[in-house]
Amino acid sequence: MSRNSFSVVIGQKLALSVFLIGKIFRFIFFFGFLYFLLVGSGNLAGYSSNQIIFFFLTFNLIDVITQFLFREVYNFRPMIINGDFDLVLVKPISALFRVLMGGADVIDLITIPPLIILTIYFGSLLHPGLVQIGLFLILLANGFLIATAFHIIVLSFAIVTLEVDHTVMIYRDLTSLGRLPIDIYQQPLKAFLTYLIPVGIMITLPAKAIMGLTSLPEVLIAFLVGLIAIFISFKFWNYALTKYSSASS
Amino acid sequence: MRKYWGVFKISFEQEFAYRLNFILWRVRNVFQILLTYFLWSTVFANPTTQIFGYDRTKILTYVFGIMIVRALVLSARAMDVSSDIAQGDLSNYLLKPMSYFKYWFTRDISSKALNLIFAAVEFSVLFVILKPPFFFQTNPVALLAFAATIILAILIYFFLLFLISSIPFWAPEIGWGSHFLVTVVIIESLSGSLFPINILPGIFQSIVLATPFPYLIYFPVEVYLGNISGPALIGGLMVAIAWTGVLWFTLNFVWQKGLRVYQAIGR
Repeated sequence: MSRNSFSVVIGQKLALSVFLIGKIFRFIFFFGFLYFLLVGSGNLAGYSSNQIIFFFLTFNLIDVITQFLFREVYNFRPMIINGDFDLVLVKPISALFRVLMGGADVIDLITIPPLIILTIYFGSLLHPGLVQIGLFLILLANGFLIATAFHIIVLSFAIVTLEVDHTVMIYRDLTSLGRLPIDIYQQPLKAFLTYLIPVGIMITLPAKAIMGLTSLPEVLIAFLVGLIAIFISFKFWNYALTKYSSASS
Repeated sequence: MRKYWGVFKISFEQEFAYRLNFILWRVRNVFQILLTYFLWSTVFANPTTQIFGYDRTKILTYVFGIMIVRALVLSARAMDVSSDIAQGDLSNYLLKPMSYFKYWFTRDISSKALNLIFAAVEFSVLFVILKPPFFFQTNPVALLAFAATIILAILIYFFLLFLISSIPFWAPEIGWGSHFLVTVVIIESLSGSLFPINILPGIFQSIVLATPFPYLIYFPVEVYLGNISGPALIGGLMVAIAWTGVLWFTLNFVWQKGLRVYQAIGR
């Protein structure tokens, strides 16, 4: 499925180039503004320039990899409206796997290696120990688990409501609040971003682990939230399937 | 004039056909503002802080100003022109007894009116919740200049959108791609809706200020704040007027060339 998806995108070289340039520019612009802001202000919420940049890179890592893996989610709504989802349901493959990971994005694949190199470079400037690196990787994996849960919930939402176009974009807007440590937000927004839409657990906490700023209860809560999120998402998906009306097919 | 009033009303009502979508679109705008607001609120946590020529009151007024200016300037429907061209739907409009430019400009105005109403509500709600210090401009010259910059910004954005939307005349497969590159990436970054341009070092500021993008958000808000006045205001207005003229002439040239190669593909 991913090979087919790559072939389609590579076949449109001009479109691929435009999107790739756009994504690189977007990263450079935000990175540049953040850098100059930190040069002027010295620090942000008590974090040094390198720490803030590491938060930003961790956000990008999770954002880009989830977009790479779950790009097909963005094409799901037309499938539901046209009734083409029927064709997925009758095939001997997990329907959830097909609509979640059936169209990996080659453009994001190109941007992942340089992003990983940048993350390793700025992470090394924070001089983490082996335990901190290990904790970062485990919490990052937990972040991906939560991101997966959100994408499954978005898919389920599309089946149940039909009308919603922007759900996945709202998820992305919410996660984009994690470009900076959630410590900058005031309550109750901070609590909202920690527990209800756990952007803090997805993005801020792994980055804090590298800096040695996490505690054992925080890590345990993070894993608990990850497990609860994925459990709820599967339950919601199963419920949503019972509401699929096969409209227009 | 009556037919454009009809277009305005229909376009306004059309937005309500997918009410939930529209509301969610506005919710997305609020999230974007929240990031910017809390970022700057943290930088200026100490009320005596003064950096980049701003104090806490002015920077938070800048952030709230973005909400209103974005609704007035960046709310538009003219991006749909690219799909009209790519799918051949442009033919329907060319046969009708009205100007295609005026038709989309009317739809843009309708979109701006609706978004302005919602932005005003969001502004009020966030203002009550966040209670930011706010700078009320009372100088009539600054307010008049602000109004002028908004009109120029609306025209610049309309011409830019139409120019980008003309690309499918030659490359229909990059209609959305070119909008992503220019409107989502370049305009969002360089218009000042995320960061004020004057946080950049001098050389980068000069380069960005020579492009049309900062005249969409940054310049109007700075004029409102009174940070740009006197010769700098006159100079900025001249650059904005020059860009309006250049873009208008370029659009006419490109559009005429485009119509000659238009094949109504898909019709």
